[in-house]
Amino acid sequence: MAELSAAPVLSTPAEYLFEHTVTENKAPIQRRTDDELRNIYEVARAAQEIRQGGWKRIALQFPDHMLRDAPRVVQALNTELASIPRSTDASGPPERIYILADTSYSSCCVDEIAAEHVDADVVVHYGRSCLSPTSRLPVIYIFTHHDLDHQETVAAFEQQYPDKQTPAILMADVTYQDHIPALASELFALGYTNLVSTAIIHDPTGQIPNRKLVHPQTLTDLPTPSLHSHSIFHVSSPPTSLLLALSSRVAALHIHPTALDTTANAAAAAAAAAPTSTPRLLGRRYARVLTLATAGIVGILVNTLSVSNYLASVDTLRRQLAARGKKSYTVVVGKLNAAKLANFAEVDGWVVVGCWESALVEEDAGFYRPVVTPFELGVALMGDGERVWGGEWWGGIERVGIERVGEFEIEGEGGGGGERGEGDEGDDSEEESAPPEFDLRTGRLVSHGRPMKKGAAKVEKKKDEGRAAGGNPPSGGALALRPKAELAMVNGVVSPGAEYLRSQRTWQGLGSDYVAEESTAIEEGRGGVARGYTVGGDQEKR
Amino acid sequence: MVNFTIDEIRQLMDKPTNVRNMTVIAHVDHGKSTLTDSLLAKAGIISSGKAGEARATDTRQDEQERGITIKSTAISLYGTLPSDEDIKDIVGQKTDGKDFLINLIDSPGHVDFSSEVTAALRVTDGALVVVDTVEGVCVQTETVLRQALGERIKPVIIINKVDRALLELQVTKEDLYQTFSRTVESVNVIISTYIDQSLGDIQVYPDKGTVAFGSGLHGWAFTVRQFATRYAKKFGVDRNKMMERLWGDNFFNPHTKKWSKSGTHEGKQLERAFNMFILDPIFKIFSAVMNFKKEEIATLLDKLQLKLTPDDREKEGKLLLKAVMRTFLPAADCLLEMMILHLPSPVTAQRYRVETLYEGPMDDEAAISIRDCNSKGPLMLYVSKMVPTNDKGRFYAFGRVFSGTVRSGLKVRIQGPNYTPGKKEDLFIKAVQRTVLMMGGKVEPIDDMPAGNIVGLVGIDQFLLKSGTLTTSETAHNLKVMKFSVSPVVQRSVAVKNAQDLPKLVEGLKRLSKSDPCVLVMTNESGEHVVAGAGELHLEICLKDLEEDHAGVPLNISDPVVQYRETVGAKSSITALSKSPNKHNRLYMIAEPMEEELSKEIESGRIGPRDDFKARARILADDFGWDVTDARKIWAFGPDTNGANLLVDQTKAVQYLNEIKDSVVSGFQWATREGPVAEEPMRSIRFNIMDVTLHADAIHRGGGQLIPTARRVLYAAALLAEPALLEPVFLVEIQVPESAMGGVYGVLTRRRGHVFAEEQRPGTPLFTIKAYLPVMESFGFNGDLRAGTSGQAFPQSVFDHWQILPGGSPLDPTSKVGTIVQEMRKRKGIKVEVPGVDHYYDKL
Repeated sequence: MAELSAAPVLSTPAEYLFEHTVTENKAPIQRRTDDELRNIYEVARAAQEIRQGGWKRIALQFPDHMLRDAPRVVQALNTELASIPRSTDASGPPERIYILADTSYSSCCVDEIAAEHVDADVVVHYGRSCLSPTSRLPVIYIFTHHDLDHQETVAAFEQQYPDKQTPAILMADVTYQDHIPALASELFALGYTNLVSTAIIHDPTGQIPNRKLVHPQTLTDLPTPSLHSHSIFHVSSPPTSLLLALSSRVAALHIHPTALDTTANAAAAAAAAAPTSTPRLLGRRYARVLTLATAGIVGILVNTLSVSNYLASVDTLRRQLAARGKKSYTVVVGKLNAAKLANFAEVDGWVVVGCWESALVEEDAGFYRPVVTPFELGVALMGDGERVWGGEWWGGIERVGIERVGEFEIEGEGGGGGERGEGDEGDDSEEESAPPEFDLRTGRLVSHGRPMKKGAAKVEKKKDEGRAAGGNPPSGGALALRPKAELAMVNGVVSPGAEYLRSQRTWQGLGSDYVAEESTAIEEGRGGVARGYTVGGDQEKR
Repeated sequence: MVNFTIDEIRQLMDKPTNVRNMTVIAHVDHGKSTLTDSLLAKAGIISSGKAGEARATDTRQDEQERGITIKSTAISLYGTLPSDEDIKDIVGQKTDGKDFLINLIDSPGHVDFSSEVTAALRVTDGALVVVDTVEGVCVQTETVLRQALGERIKPVIIINKVDRALLELQVTKEDLYQTFSRTVESVNVIISTYIDQSLGDIQVYPDKGTVAFGSGLHGWAFTVRQFATRYAKKFGVDRNKMMERLWGDNFFNPHTKKWSKSGTHEGKQLERAFNMFILDPIFKIFSAVMNFKKEEIATLLDKLQLKLTPDDREKEGKLLLKAVMRTFLPAADCLLEMMILHLPSPVTAQRYRVETLYEGPMDDEAAISIRDCNSKGPLMLYVSKMVPTNDKGRFYAFGRVFSGTVRSGLKVRIQGPNYTPGKKEDLFIKAVQRTVLMMGGKVEPIDDMPAGNIVGLVGIDQFLLKSGTLTTSETAHNLKVMKFSVSPVVQRSVAVKNAQDLPKLVEGLKRLSKSDPCVLVMTNESGEHVVAGAGELHLEICLKDLEEDHAGVPLNISDPVVQYRETVGAKSSITALSKSPNKHNRLYMIAEPMEEELSKEIESGRIGPRDDFKARARILADDFGWDVTDARKIWAFGPDTNGANLLVDQTKAVQYLNEIKDSVVSGFQWATREGPVAEEPMRSIRFNIMDVTLHADAIHRGGGQLIPTARRVLYAAALLAEPALLEPVFLVEIQVPESAMGGVYGVLTRRRGHVFAEEQRPGTPLFTIKAYLPVMESFGFNGDLRAGTSGQAFPQSVFDHWQILPGGSPLDPTSKVGTIVQEMRKRKGIKVEVPGVDHYYDKL
């Protein structure tokens, strides 16, 4: 063996700790002129609205790729504000403008928490937005303006729909929405009489999320017909969740790529929009739904603190899960990544409470356990007897309804009841087991799908016994023998998490590798001197 | 009318020495069900006129229509030995009276349904092997016989369809003797190949009465023993001595009235005793009846002291032949006698079967009770399959009581295949609602059932997927899980035509997966419900059941596809390295191909994660040339903790290593389940952890940092080691006349088939061709073969092994394999290009 010249390295040197390098995406920075800037960021409108609202502390929220323009936008906004005369009754210091540099969850949502740190009165949200209703602060949405070649778009539209009678809906990503009225009237003039245009509203649960249908020329609201016969012409690539939501509601979807999409992006979007791939996408979601159906422990990821009904939704999800006998843990990790979620190895699946765009976590991220949306969780919890897939899909939490919970609770109680009728002898340790569930994903029977069901029943029973014994506190009396192989409990409640640590982990922390030997009777060992020991009582020398 | 009552049967059950549990096994179309009919006729379950045509154990409609058995069917019979004399001939085991209970299972012969045979064999102790006189021992004969011997099941054989040899082939007596002798010999060759020493000598000998000859269709059969009984008196010698003389090179010299071993007398050929005393009367009857010689028939009948019913007397030709032979040598008597005399009772059989049946130590209460077949001991019951009830969606759990007594209302511990003693996983407690006796398509209620019998249980079907152990002992281990000779390698996906029907499909899939011991039902990554079966026929039957019966809704069924496996062709070119997301932890790994033999051992369950690691290391070192230190440091088997990929720790002196083991193993299970090339499971790869550097603070080396990193480094290691796809390959055996062989070769060549054996069946123009055929190419093979040989070739395909898919690297999109990979990825809805190594490999 070679001589050791230095002490062996047993751990990573501590200096590595600070060597964290961030690889940055160095996109070529084009210098924009001030006019362009004012145009893109709609500075005038923003200033107008701020002044109208009389807000003093203003927070500007930019998506990451626009952050580099932020200082100049602030500058422009300041100048603009200074140029607008104040109303007579207003007084005091001029407006203060803050830039929110990093979003907590996703750039499409308004980050109210960050805004509250600066005690802002209003948030100006730039860039594309999911338009989820907020609960605390007023918001000015600036979708930013992008150029679009109208002629080319119209040509593409004509090529796509040669028949002028085609019932078509014209819509665009929010960042291109400002071109829609012009485009619509242009197309209408060309003879597309069945064309329907869209306008933005804040309703992610609508038949087309966040859009209402308007007449292309008069811009009056149209009644929402069944969209199944309509085709959608979408300017710029839509987010995946929109794609999924629309795929089942409309006849066809055509995506018109724009300059904003980078080339790779566009290719991916085009691939995603191909008629065959959305069903595939939905299929993959279905596989995850099935995985969740037999998951015993589900993590609820709180991925928004601003969408208005997020607290109610978390509550509803918890109750839904409890009704199905599943354990839920609520976890807040900020922006999701594989490393964060893999820290909770005991969780079998995740559900994201977030805005309707960001709640859909796509798989390329390589998450250890499947991540689904509240809608998908609802489907997963439905029970095999009623689960239907492929009809509708929606993201977000706006529709996490209360109406379903009642149904679950009834079933939760009734599920095993039929079986128990005959052989119930009231014996705790000999109680008959509930039948296992069939895991459609793997084709096996799993018994850990509802860890809380049996435990809950047990605890209740014990409570009843306590009461029956004359109101004595159940913990007061004599010692009780703990049955062997008891489930791991925390404060008298079955804890699947603790059970996981106990049964699935080989490493349970320092000291866990220490094996206590069983006590044995003392035996006499060797004795004597080195010349010859005696063993035990024998006089034999060894 | 049934000539026994359930009460009588119940009484016999208490005498396990007088119980015989047996399965009828054979190659497809050798006449199992037909032969079983004659036993049923004898018991009065079907009329004797219908026997041979009714195939009463084929209870399903499609079984009757197609003329093949699909499901194994159990039936209990009552049998009696004619005289007390015969009891003495039962050697080596105790007997109590001359009444016997025979629990008989008729099994399917087609390879695709081999799993049914396995399930049947598990609950029986003896096997009646049926062999066709003309076709001889075929591939499936060998397969089922091998399985029987693996389960320590004693065989007796019957050479069936002797009438065909006489009527169609018109063979001479000596030719027929030679055919018999060859068949017996080839059966014995198989037996000696797969013999289990603990069974003792279980070769079959006509002169010992363990071989019968007969015709199931005509309902007659005989053993040498029966003729020996007839002639023993005439010659005034002991019956057993007579039996020896009636087979083999024994000749009776009519001139000297002496027996001799040499076949010549004064230069003239003598007639063999077998031919002279046994075949001669049969040949005479055949020729007399078939040539319509009325008087000769009458004299013959007189001579043989046979009395025909007036009805039968009126018959002519084949019908008369059938009547005469059936009166002369009734098949049921012969078979019952052979089974009672030579097959073991549960008491005898469980003594040597316990070692192969029970997973636990041989000295615990369950093992001892099984060994003694003790009906007072703790209950040990193995459920080997599920039988559908009339109540849709519910099943009888079909199994064998190995110890104790099962009765209605008994609370039992139901232990699934993954149960380990002392743990709660896969353990359920439930009362048996009812116990029933399986009688073909029907059931008879019965109060209780003692050890040694075959039983149907009501009310526990929800707790077991396909099979499992039932016990009343808290310390009992599992009875061993059955290993099937077939694997579900052919799969098709199913979807509902109408989305609202999905719940029905799901319910149907659950039922389907219960109703068949082998079929696999799952959902793949792309959300398609997949049904996997052993072969095209198996899958066809399963899907037909699913659509018409279990689900009952219209379905869209995809074309059959093959599931591939991902593997590596060489050792990783460089050590793969991946850093954790926080860059503070590094894993170094190498992937290398594992020995094919070892993979097979793991897949067959002979080497597994639950073995004692030292014993396992010894085997790996001795049989597979592993380094002992490596072999002792196997961290995990994967995927599903028991697959044929290994994660081996080869690191030296890494601090905190045991802390991250769980995380790395999780990553390993994840990665091996979905490989880097096309998200297919990995197979036969050994991953060596070469080195690990970890951050000193526990918080920076948690599961979140390591699970994804482990997966990435495993992917990188696999991609650096010449990744390849494995495709499943069938072993095809084709029986074909010489004239049509060209067609067979043509079809095989077109389909990448590879012939490795070709032999002529002695005495016939038939050839047996054995070939390897990729499963992917086997779809439509049967039809193609029929067309290519004008219907003269009969193939039997069974999964044999995995082979590397030829045609370039899966990473090269221009190669043939690359296109297949891209197709697959497209179908799965993932990015079409295979992500390169740089996706997973981090620079230092």
